[in-house]
Amino acid sequence: MAESDILLEDAALGVTADGEAPTPPDETLLRVTIRPRRRGRRLLVGIGGIAVGLVLVVVGTMVLQDVSAVLRVGLTLAGFGLIYLGADRLGRFLFGEEFETAVWFSVFWLGLITLAAVFADLLPLAESKDVSKTLTTPTLLRPDLFSAHPLGTDRQGLDILGGVVYGARVSLIVSIGAVVIGMIIGGVIGITAGYYRGKTEGVVNVMADSMLAFPPLILLLGMVAVLEPSVRNVTIALGVLGIPTYIRLSRANTMVFAQREFVLAARALGAKDRRVIFRELLPNVALPVVSYGFIVLGALIVAEASLSFLGLSIRRPNPTWGNMIAAGQTDFDRHPHLVFAPGIVLFLTVFALNRVGDRARKLWDPRQSRL
Amino acid sequence: MLRTVGQKLLHLVPVLFLVSLATFFMLELIPGDPAAVILGPDGTPEQYAQLRDEMGLDEPVLERYVSWLGDTVRGDLGRSLVPPVQDVREMIQSRLPVTLELAALAIVMSLALAVPVALYAAYRAGYRFDRTANSFAFGAISVPSFLAALLLVFFLVFHPDIVRWLALIAGLGLTAWLAQRALRLAQEYPAGQGRTRYLALGLGGALLVLLVTLFLWGNWPEFPRQGFVRLTSDEGIWANLRHAFLPALTLALTEAAVFMRLLRSDLISTLQDDFILSAKAKGMPVWRILVRDALRPSSFSLITVAGVALGRLIGGTVIVETIFNLPGMGTMIVDAIGAHDFRVVQAGVLVIAVFYVTLNAIIDISYAYLDPRIRRGRV
Repeated sequence: MAESDILLEDAALGVTADGEAPTPPDETLLRVTIRPRRRGRRLLVGIGGIAVGLVLVVVGTMVLQDVSAVLRVGLTLAGFGLIYLGADRLGRFLFGEEFETAVWFSVFWLGLITLAAVFADLLPLAESKDVSKTLTTPTLLRPDLFSAHPLGTDRQGLDILGGVVYGARVSLIVSIGAVVIGMIIGGVIGITAGYYRGKTEGVVNVMADSMLAFPPLILLLGMVAVLEPSVRNVTIALGVLGIPTYIRLSRANTMVFAQREFVLAARALGAKDRRVIFRELLPNVALPVVSYGFIVLGALIVAEASLSFLGLSIRRPNPTWGNMIAAGQTDFDRHPHLVFAPGIVLFLTVFALNRVGDRARKLWDPRQSRL
Repeated sequence: MLRTVGQKLLHLVPVLFLVSLATFFMLELIPGDPAAVILGPDGTPEQYAQLRDEMGLDEPVLERYVSWLGDTVRGDLGRSLVPPVQDVREMIQSRLPVTLELAALAIVMSLALAVPVALYAAYRAGYRFDRTANSFAFGAISVPSFLAALLLVFFLVFHPDIVRWLALIAGLGLTAWLAQRALRLAQEYPAGQGRTRYLALGLGGALLVLLVTLFLWGNWPEFPRQGFVRLTSDEGIWANLRHAFLPALTLALTEAAVFMRLLRSDLISTLQDDFILSAKAKGMPVWRILVRDALRPSSFSLITVAGVALGRLIGGTVIVETIFNLPGMGTMIVDAIGAHDFRVVQAGVLVIAVFYVTLNAIIDISYAYLDPRIRRGRV
């Protein structure tokens, strides 16, 4: 590597220290200057990418049937990649350079999963729970979109797509319930500690520290060891897991706001502590704390899936992403779709939650933006 | 300095006390009679009476806690409640090394992966390599560990040929790229001593990559689907590493992504400091600035996070231990939960929590030691 490189890269070293920023400021600058020349090309790449990508996906999933699976999967993935690229260019063409394609895809995916989970009973899904109803269904079918079993069937002839949809329902109910529990209990304790400081804060800190003293999965294992695995109990256990995180989060945010002038003004006007907490602090603290919820949601979905994978959460016949993957493990040498169909859905959901959460935190967390 | 250490240690006492309290009263959460739950429907009344006596369920709770705490502090964790009856301490002694080895190996592997990538990404912040590395890291963080483990098993154990071919293609591509870059730089560089050296270095690097690629292609390692060979066994360290590689890699992938993002953002802010500018003005080569000057002041938070990750991994190996069927702490706890052997669960959870808390305290203290800026004036 030559010294001349350093001179060339001086601009690169001057980027601000923002670990999460996907596009550092000077690069946006770069793009803006190039924009007029590239606009036409961008539209072309956008529409072309989506069209070619769609064709590849259709060819990969439907037209080719007898070629090797590697080729089909490769074609389909390449197709999705092209669709993403095209949408990215098209989005920037239509909505400007700040358009974040990945975030919009994430929002779309989360919406899709939520709708599917809510309306699961109305969807024309094949049987995914009751083994006695699938005696005539062929077992271990390969995925074939536009058949009765789009994602194939498992060893007992149960429909994978149905399992994924009903699994989404369990994952969402459990993790959203847990986040709400953690947010309310942890939030109240955290705000109180952050407002009163002193002894209250010391006691709360020791409590939060001792809950954080257990590695999360171990704490969870300890709790499910003594509880019956039901939706309610798993939700409570996961909620307890989230409490210390929320205590710290809301305490830190309260401390930021408690020093601001409007709190001082309220107190100078003679507002009681309760009024300051609920009317002045809570509305301000709520936004960053809620925005962090997406990321906690993602982490709890993984935690629930890990528990069901270990067979310690909701069990068969109720399908969850975790127990479907665990059941598919035995056959996945020959039938990888048993593991990868629920696996990809799980990954995409967690990824989308992280992505949206990242964006939400940048928008709403005062500690992220430089005030 | 001593004051900080003292404060940290003092803070440890109430936390450890609450931890012991929580683990002990975990048993009280069991709905109904613990002895009945442990025995199940097949237990005889004699067994039931014996078990109640063994667990001391007829004594008051406080007395039980005190005697349990006394035994535990002395290192006596009792015997398992479910046959085969074993000494719990011996069980943990045989299983803890496996978990510790996995966690340590995972940290080493993830640092080996993360540091070079972070260095190059920070050096070219905002450019293609940086953006690609960042999105990969973001993706890797979102892959649950059991999924990562199954992916690795699928490709490295069931279909190693795909990976072998990919590795060959990637290796050849990298060789070609390095060689082409070396030749191009040599042309642009003024003639003289430096040019020959750079050319030799570049081509040497390309040759090294080529040799490694060809070696791997010839001797592609076979990884076992499951099982474990202990470090102390007769088969030696190679067999041990071959068995530990996939589980450790699974854990390392996620950690590496976290480390990479952290180190990258710290490096980027360090690279704006004046001393980097002066090093650049002196004409220091890029690698020297990055490795010798920028890496150390940027690595404080990485060290902290790596330490915390080590602690978390000791409790987080449960999943990979189950998938790869390793005799570690995680499988012990999961099996004990299945068998309703609450004493083993209790002991396992307690040992891991104590490990974790102590490790975190040590990291806190050593952090103050490493970074002179925070040695004093902690509010």
